[in-house]
Amino acid sequence: MELLDRISENLQNGFDETVVQLTEDAVEKQIPPEEILSDGLIVGMNIVGEKFKNHDIFLPDVLLAARAMNGAMEILKPLLIKEGIPVRGKVVIGSVKDDLHDIGKNLVAILLKGAGFEVIDLGNDVPAEKFISAAKEENAHVIGMSALLTTTMPVMKKVVDLAKDEGLFGKVKIIVGGAPVSKEYALEIGADAYSYDGANAVETVESFFPANSR
Amino acid sequence: MRSIVDFAADDVILDRAAILCSQGIPEEAELTENFERIYGEAISLFQQLAASKGITAGISISHFEEVFRGEGLNEPENPVEEIYGESSHLALFAVTLGPVLSEKVTELFDNGDYASGYMLDSVSSFAADRLSVLIAQNLQSELAAAESGKSTLRVLSYSPGYCGWHISGQRKLFEVLCPQEIGITLNESCLMSPIKSVSGVLIAGHGKIHEFANSYPFCDTCRTKSCIGRMRDLK
Repeated sequence: MELLDRISENLQNGFDETVVQLTEDAVEKQIPPEEILSDGLIVGMNIVGEKFKNHDIFLPDVLLAARAMNGAMEILKPLLIKEGIPVRGKVVIGSVKDDLHDIGKNLVAILLKGAGFEVIDLGNDVPAEKFISAAKEENAHVIGMSALLTTTMPVMKKVVDLAKDEGLFGKVKIIVGGAPVSKEYALEIGADAYSYDGANAVETVESFFPANSR
Repeated sequence: MRSIVDFAADDVILDRAAILCSQGIPEEAELTENFERIYGEAISLFQQLAASKGITAGISISHFEEVFRGEGLNEPENPVEEIYGESSHLALFAVTLGPVLSEKVTELFDNGDYASGYMLDSVSSFAADRLSVLIAQNLQSELAAAESGKSTLRVLSYSPGYCGWHISGQRKLFEVLCPQEIGITLNESCLMSPIKSVSGVLIAGHGKIHEFANSYPFCDTCRTKSCIGRMRDLK
């Protein structure tokens, strides 16, 4: 079996240490990093995504694959940067101010990384201003916000309003999610999109980058 | 009457099918070896780390009216108001699994062990809900014992943030119940810490008082729809 196929297969099985080792082997064998990413890791993650959609595997299996993907990306990222290969897109993400729930946000961050996006995770209890300043500093393409309480949802609107004031609106896409959040609420506050779970968040963010989608 | 309960790890029955169902996994699904390993580890961690406690305090209907009103943000029509109006006994309650489990979940995520962190969080969320059921069952048993075991009373819990009771109702509830005594605090956004905690009111009355049509405007956006199972179990 070819090395890149083995990377894909081990990634699908969530064998993170093997995937990291095989990625190192591939680099050593002078396989271009972009090829390792697209023909090994991304192929594997796409199969994982399909199996997840078809309920052949479940979220913990996806998270094991994502961990393997992230481990391999630690090796590939500096090489991709060195070769001037652009990242797929950069997402600033966080749970809004006064909201200490972070599992949902963490899952979205992990799945986005697994899909090849660069994720700047601001953590939880993030003030509106911090989302904006991080998006500017990082030249982010997307701001993702999570809220698990109706009392913290208004911070999402504050971020959208600040983005408008700071000239980011239209340049940076804003996506919102969390148990009490709805598509209607996203529309009402002027966010670009709403996602109901992690996998849907990845699909939505991917839809922001049609030309870049793998 | 005010009382504090310590739950043993074995008191919380971790129903595998229900936990998997909460993750959207059907009972008949074939699971991978990895999944089974992670699930087993999460159960074991839960049993080691859970420090489950509960507190209850009886309250009169008139006093509860004031607690329920909270900051005046409840939905104008809601089932809780109708249910407690017909109750024979009310008690405020709060239950918690303690802080260590949530800290472990964070640690697992921080170490990149996402699958284990997710599974432990999922098991803990299920267990926290089970604690609220247990504390309701405790009250039901006490009330039945007081009526020589012939009671037809059914006790169910209702919490701020659900069924039209606005989340801000937590503030008044905490003011009266003071669950800080068992280590539960409230932040400005009405979020409890430890995060795996549940608070609300236990409403005792004939089973029929707990039945309602889940056709309130807010029912459309409710993600739990747990009322369906609760009402089914009354029968």
